Amino acid sequence: MAGESLTVDGVKVSYSDVQVLAGVSIDVAPGEFIALLGSSGCGKTTLLRAISGFVPVDAGRVLVSDRDVTNAPPDKRGMAMVFQSYALWPHMTAAQNIGYGLRLRKVARIELDRRVAETMSLLGLDGLGSRLVTQLSGGQRQRVALGRALAVEPQTLLLDEPLSNLDARIRQSVRHEIKALQQQLQITAIHVTHDREEAMVMADRIVILDRGNIAQIGTPEDVYNRPRSSFVAAFMGADNVIPLTAKRDEGALRVSASDDHADAVLSIADGDEGANLVGTGDGELAAHFRSEAARLVEVSDRPQGSLVLFGKVIQTSYPGGIYRYTIDMGGRNYLVDDPKKLAVGDAVGICLPAQSLHLFPANPTEAS
Amino acid sequence: MMSFHRVLHDERVWSFALVAPALVTVGLLFIYPLGFSAVSAFSAEEGGWTFANFIKAFDLYSNDILFTVVIVSLSTVLIGFFAIAIGGYLTLGENPYAVAILKWLYRWPLFIPFIVAAQLMRTFLAKNGLMNNLIVGSGLLEPMQTQSFLDWRGIVITFVWKQTPFVALLVAGAMASLDRSMIESARNLGASRIRILVEIILPQVRPTIVVGLILSFVVMMSVLSVPIMINAQTPTMLTVDMAFRINAYGDYGVANALGFISYLMTGVVAWIYLRQGVRQGAAP
Repeated sequence: MAGESLTVDGVKVSYSDVQVLAGVSIDVAPGEFIALLGSSGCGKTTLLRAISGFVPVDAGRVLVSDRDVTNAPPDKRGMAMVFQSYALWPHMTAAQNIGYGLRLRKVARIELDRRVAETMSLLGLDGLGSRLVTQLSGGQRQRVALGRALAVEPQTLLLDEPLSNLDARIRQSVRHEIKALQQQLQITAIHVTHDREEAMVMADRIVILDRGNIAQIGTPEDVYNRPRSSFVAAFMGADNVIPLTAKRDEGALRVSASDDHADAVLSIADGDEGANLVGTGDGELAAHFRSEAARLVEVSDRPQGSLVLFGKVIQTSYPGGIYRYTIDMGGRNYLVDDPKKLAVGDAVGICLPAQSLHLFPANPTEAS
Repeated sequence: MMSFHRVLHDERVWSFALVAPALVTVGLLFIYPLGFSAVSAFSAEEGGWTFANFIKAFDLYSNDILFTVVIVSLSTVLIGFFAIAIGGYLTLGENPYAVAILKWLYRWPLFIPFIVAAQLMRTFLAKNGLMNNLIVGSGLLEPMQTQSFLDWRGIVITFVWKQTPFVALLVAGAMASLDRSMIESARNLGASRIRILVEIILPQVRPTIVVGLILSFVVMMSVLSVPIMINAQTPTMLTVDMAFRINAYGDYGVANALGFISYLMTGVVAWIYLRQGVRQGAAP
């Protein structure tokens, strides 16, 4: 088993009059694990189905190792799919489910039994081969579904939210198992999910989709630390937004003071030090940040290279080890953890280091 | 403790009162006539129990009994085949127009009563009927070579035409309710449509097919108009013989014996069905 490269080139798909994919292009290297991430209705499952051949494409091409498979039937693409509902056949045993693809390929009985046994032991399903799939637990069914796809030794494995029916605890471990398996077999994998953490943990690169378009493609570190748009920043958890007015000043950004925040000089250097700036940085900006990046300071403090927001404690709690405060700032609430004890009503500063800020033009049309 | 018993007693009275009308209807209109005809089948005219009616029935009509079994069984097999083909195409067909047309067309015979269906077939299958006219018109046969289909073949054709939509309706519904991704996963592994139908879909809708076919079997066993109108010769079906014994001779004894034999035939089919149900229910 070895992965092949996969190229999606300008693929457009519509359902009746509604355009679901508006010209999507992705290059996947052999053996790479790609996650298609997005909220429901963004087109991620449609993209997977277009790649697998279950959905005809209106325009564009799908290439497997430079071989054009755009119009090839689903079974002639060297791809095997794991379905969200597992789609196991309830009248067959686990072994029959796993061996079905081999039976279709007319693999001899002895060889078939050997490969089914091999696949089952690879997935930790030893001894369950003769059980009907209806007698298996959710986690075991998920493995059978994976085994059925892997048994035919595909070059590309397509995973359509295969973990969404598992409970949280099992999901954690199965993530790592699938990833380890994919690396061991060196097959190319495309994984559809709406779970950010799942995509981060499993994928080599993440493709974030927004209304049928690719919002960003990048490594987990890239999309997390360097989102290229307001949408990606919010989707990756930096969903607190404050408006800023700023002016570019060589390698830094001068932020003017307002009722909500103090003035500041923020580094926009590349790397870990500076803020993630998209656009010129002049004029009205939308600053995104994650609550966990914030810490509390005195209202009068002005730590260098950080932005200080003015807020008031409206609720306190002690989850253990650290205090958790609900801070009101201009009518919006933020949860901020801090080791210092404060009381309800205290005025505080929320300190945001430059590197925790993602800055986008407030009006996206000015981005270019 | 007393009041608890009283409540229990009251509840039983009420629940019995609620099912009573249904029970009485079933008893009067079904159990009683069935029991009466069974008793009458074993009764001699001069009183006492006898097998004479059955002996006479077998003497006169053993060919018809065989004929009925063969006709109804053959029709059931053909109905099953066509219903699965229709359901399969509706589920797996890739040409949306053909699927839509078939979906619209296949149900029509459902709305046509047996007697009208038989009349239609008389004009269609006769020696100079519509079917032969079409064949002659297309130049495939000479007028002298044509033959009438108004015999056992006509009965089978009518039964299949009339009952296939009923079974197809049930089967197509069951197929449509299967998780679509079960079909896609087989397709993804390279299964052809015919293999998907036989290996993936049919095993899962088998109970529905069996129910549909058993109901059709029972209905066909009881149809009088079709054999009377299409096959006015011997051998013929038991329903015709029963009508004849009663209308021509007032011979209820033999008619009831024939009825009892029909009942046994459907009973065997029902037993097969129940046995399957028990087996499925018992499966862990």
